Amino acid sequence: MNQTAFQSAFDEHKDAVFRFAWRMVGPDFAEDIAQDVFLTLLRHPERFDPTRGTLRAFLLGVARNLALKRWRDTHRWDPLDDEAFMTPAIDPTQGETAEIVGAAVRTLPPLQREALILAEYEELSLDEIARAVDAEVGTVKSRLHRARQNLKRLLAPIRPSFLERSPHGTV
Amino acid sequence: MEPSDDRDLTHVLREWKAPGAPATLSARVFGERIPWWRWLFAGTIRVPVPVAVAVALLLVAWAYTRLPATAPLKEAEPTVSLADFEPVPQLEPRVVGEFK
Repeated sequence: MNQTAFQSAFDEHKDAVFRFAWRMVGPDFAEDIAQDVFLTLLRHPERFDPTRGTLRAFLLGVARNLALKRWRDTHRWDPLDDEAFMTPAIDPTQGETAEIVGAAVRTLPPLQREALILAEYEELSLDEIARAVDAEVGTVKSRLHRARQNLKRLLAPIRPSFLERSPHGTV
Repeated sequence: MEPSDDRDLTHVLREWKAPGAPATLSARVFGERIPWWRWLFAGTIRVPVPVAVAVALLLVAWAYTRLPATAPLKEAEPTVSLADFEPVPQLEPRVVGEFK
């Protein structure tokens, strides 16, 4: 990849990569991760195979791996995807809706969180998410389903309708 | 799962906006050099915990070897008993040598 192509890729995808990292790990480390993603592309352009998906999905996949590595450094003994994840209480009076939603998403186990962010915010297809997170499409569907159910329970204090229509009924 | 329920959730989720990439990202990726003196004030380095512990232990060991050696305890001076003291019956001083 020559300098012009790299510059073009950077200009086109820097916001998506940074946004994803920001939502996954928070503002303190998002820039570090975004920088590492583009340095990976610069140093190892052969890792991107256009026949396996778009450059955007590839870069988000690299960002995902770096975010998970950072998470593992600080949560060595916690499970990545906790099926028995218990939704903690969210105080609806604590800040604006946006802050509450952000806190709720960041509460999710990492594998559910990344699937949800890639689907809801970056609008990747199930196939693209599966490639980015190196999992089967069915696994991604399952994680997305659990993430949405957990979020509905978490956000019920500000949207009681989520709880009423939830298949699990009450928290 | 009801589709309308998911649409509501998507609507709520969209209220959480993320910022775009900061201008500093470009500088970091394209390697604009930061003056070394600025690094001295704001730079950071990452040190693995085992290395940090080893360095700390070495510093403690070095500080320990630099401590002045504690003075050895003085031996107790022998006590003198005067129990068997007997005065000289008659002092007979004798001068050895010559007066000049």
